[in-house]
Amino acid sequence: MGSPRMTLQTQLVLRALLEDPAKERYGLELCELAGLPSGTIYPILARLEQVGWVDSTWEDPAVHEEAGRPRRRFYHITEDGAEHARDALARAYRARKQPLPGWAARPIADGGVS
Amino acid sequence: MHRPDADTSLIQSAHDEVARWHAGQTRRSGDPLLTHCIAVAAIVADIGMPPPVICAALLHDIDDSPCPPGHVTERFGQQIADLISAVRTARPSAIPLSALNFHTARTSALQPTREEAVLAIRLADRLHNMRTIAFVPPTRRYRVARETLDVIAPLARAAGLTDVSRELHDLSSAVIQPTSTAAVTTRTLTALTLLLPTPTRARWREEWHAELGTLPTRSTRTRFTLRVLLSTPRLSWTLRRTALRERRW
Repeated sequence: MGSPRMTLQTQLVLRALLEDPAKERYGLELCELAGLPSGTIYPILARLEQVGWVDSTWEDPAVHEEAGRPRRRFYHITEDGAEHARDALARAYRARKQPLPGWAARPIADGGVS
Repeated sequence: MHRPDADTSLIQSAHDEVARWHAGQTRRSGDPLLTHCIAVAAIVADIGMPPPVICAALLHDIDDSPCPPGHVTERFGQQIADLISAVRTARPSAIPLSALNFHTARTSALQPTREEAVLAIRLADRLHNMRTIAFVPPTRRYRVARETLDVIAPLARAAGLTDVSRELHDLSSAVIQPTSTAAVTTRTLTALTLLLPTPTRARWREEWHAELGTLPTRSTRTRFTLRVLLSTPRLSWTLRRTALRERRW
């Protein structure tokens, strides 16, 4: 199965999905929540679905017929996915916090500079 | 009414009755209900139905007016009264298709059967309702359009009424796929799915069309389509990559 590349966009999508893990959301809704431009999210969702972090289903016919519109595809994060996503987000966050090699902050000795 | 040889006095008196009893009643569009009765009768006349059927078409909603029961029987006879009540109770899905053939009924001088007369009025009623469906609330509009597309239009086609069937089909499709007005974006999205692996196309096409439907303006729909366009190669790659890997293992 592997795991997805943790690009910034993927992280934003995962964070949006983790906001309320039980809630089903459609693509455009997730785009908005993740702050991504509409229409850019589908490759990410497809990848997350492939690795089993996300699951998707068609909208209940009773609901979309009631509203008089075509059925939507709904996404939610799986239990497994939520666990992996939290780990991956934490790792990505730590990696960002790590300074670049050679730029490590050196502790300043007491009274070193005067 | 396109039938110069028709018994116009019968139709005239049916019209007078309808105008009298439906006076003051309006449709959702605000038009007098009478306009619907006349439109339905005109469609029935175009299909080639004889004057008694045109009369019944004019009177098909009379039970929704203050007209006292029995009045229609008294004025127009048992046959027309029976036809009206058959129109009201008929379930379109229960009408046997094999019994109908309007084309031969029209060319020969034969009278239509009771089933044919009922179907002609029901089809005309639905056709005019679909023409004016914009005034119906969305929930009901969708349900009526769905039934029209799945049951009524095929029924009209089976009966040989090609023009009626085509119009019913077009009007109901327009309700079910409201984005069809934005034909370019819809077509672009459909074309884009051709870049995806065949088994996944239907899913993405349907998903994108539903998403497109939630966007309020033409410019947001265009932007959405362009971004889907830009991201489709990546989606295609994502979907194919696993297929390839699965094949290799």
